[in-house]
Amino acid sequence: MPKLFLGIEEASVSFGQGEARVRALRDVSLTFEKGTLSLLMGPSGSGKTTLLSMLGCLLSPDKGTVFVDGEAVNELSEAGRTVIRQKKISFVFQAFRLFHSLSALDNVALGFEIRDAAASGREEMARDLLLQFGLADKLNLEPNELSPGEKQRVAIARALAGNPPILLADEPTASLDAEAGKNICKILRRQVDDQGRTVVVVSHDPRWEKFADRTITLCDGRVEEQVGVL
Amino acid sequence: MKLALQNILHDRGRFSVTVLGVSFAVFLMVFQGSLLSGFLQAASRLIDASDSDIWITARGVQAFEFGTALESRVREMAAGVPGVTDTSRVCMAFAVYRTPVGKQQVVALVGADPGVGRRFPVPDRLESAGEMSPDAVLYDVSDRKQIDVNELPAEVEINRHRASIEREIRGYGAFLGVPFLFTSYRNAVRYMDSGPEQGMYILLRVDQSYSISQVQQNLKQRLPEVDVLTQDEFAHKSRMYWTIKTGAGGAILTAAVLGFLIGLVVVSQTIYANTMENIEEYATLKALGASQAFVARIVLSQALICGMIGSVLGLLAVIPSINYAKSLIPWIHAPWWLPGAMVVPSLAMCSLASIVSVRSALTVEPGRVFRA
Repeated sequence: MPKLFLGIEEASVSFGQGEARVRALRDVSLTFEKGTLSLLMGPSGSGKTTLLSMLGCLLSPDKGTVFVDGEAVNELSEAGRTVIRQKKISFVFQAFRLFHSLSALDNVALGFEIRDAAASGREEMARDLLLQFGLADKLNLEPNELSPGEKQRVAIARALAGNPPILLADEPTASLDAEAGKNICKILRRQVDDQGRTVVVVSHDPRWEKFADRTITLCDGRVEEQVGVL
Repeated sequence: MKLALQNILHDRGRFSVTVLGVSFAVFLMVFQGSLLSGFLQAASRLIDASDSDIWITARGVQAFEFGTALESRVREMAAGVPGVTDTSRVCMAFAVYRTPVGKQQVVALVGADPGVGRRFPVPDRLESAGEMSPDAVLYDVSDRKQIDVNELPAEVEINRHRASIEREIRGYGAFLGVPFLFTSYRNAVRYMDSGPEQGMYILLRVDQSYSISQVQQNLKQRLPEVDVLTQDEFAHKSRMYWTIKTGAGGAILTAAVLGFLIGLVVVSQTIYANTMENIEEYATLKALGASQAFVARIVLSQALICGMIGSVLGLLAVIPSINYAKSLIPWIHAPWWLPGAMVVPSLAMCSLASIVSVRSALTVEPGRVFRA
């Protein structure tokens, strides 16, 4: 079987023990092709975030295999998975998770620092990214001085620092109003179309469906439905 | 490491407490260190001031201040040992001092032969000795209040003998709370009512062509009833007596260690609180691919930044304080290297204090980033 760019094979994950045991994913196999935007939907507890955590090397399955850029990562050590995250994967969160004491510019520059970019160019590259997202006049503002939409754009800029090929987003529009949410959808879609990144979005927001190449619906830890070209 | 700096600056209240804790620890360590250093120096100051190679004392004498009389034949026998080129006598006893206005108090009276050493405060040895009588009495400027004379020379009484206070000197202030008075050996024994041939300490100079330790061995064989010590040995013995046997050094050291521990607890608490407050950010860092070393460096940097700033503030406060303290404790002494050297334990203290915080930051699960 050819190795997948990004995906899981017959992966199962459960949490807790005895009667409290919850099977979050049950023998799920999914592939995510390079340069696509996939949408993961489903009710709460259906396993969406668990799946995203596995794809992001934050969680190992009890059974099955996780592939990132053709490499089986679930047998790697914690340090090995950290390196995969550093080089290939980035995240966008519902709660933005910006560093509260740093300005927008420094938040993005930190993204470059984590990914080992040369110290001399970090600030310039961070500035360029923020300019691309229309934040030229917000560079020196701290997160608490930004609107939710601006915060999410800073978070996306930080996620793109170091040019990771895979972007995993957990409810990226849940905390935003309609206009800001739509803007974020467009930004992530452009990352696929212009940069060839692979984007996986977990969301309850139906607006995402028209931006996604494929929509996967999970229910009770199983794939219930896949709609789209892949 | 901008994140480290910004995180601590963002919570100024906590940052101030941390810096204050470090400053306090550095202040206490340097101040107590200066007390200890000065105490050690003062405990052997008069021994160190002599130019002699060997000191002969009565058996079991622990410190300069507690000498007892030696038989006069000891000096004669010592002078006959090959290699001994010169012998001098030093005596010390507590005496009753009576000021010109009739006020009485106890003083430590020290008498020495002229050959005892260039730095030893003896009237005959001072540069302006010609302006003084051979039996002049000297006192340290820091003891002026206790000596209580308005002008020099002043007629006073020592053990009911008339004496002439003629000069103030510096660097030989009271160490036991009792002021020192210095005079010639012959004058001192007169005030002490002891025989002129008796000595309390016999100081010997050794010819350079002889080994000091060999001469010391010969003296020990010839004079088994007394202690024969090199100058360094007697100085060390005296220092150990005052610092260890009296417990004074222990008390000073305890205060310094206490300063270190208080600093450790304060820094540890505040760095830990800061780390726990930002624990979600450490999880985010790890999720974004930050290595364990990267995360540890941030926490450690926070502790070290606080350590550096606290150390500087502590030093800025302690140096003038020591200078002021010299007016109250004349023997306090801060060696030039002490303030700088105390920065090392303070940074070590901060590093130590950050261990628990580093551990917390390193063990946080990156997977928690998806929990709202």
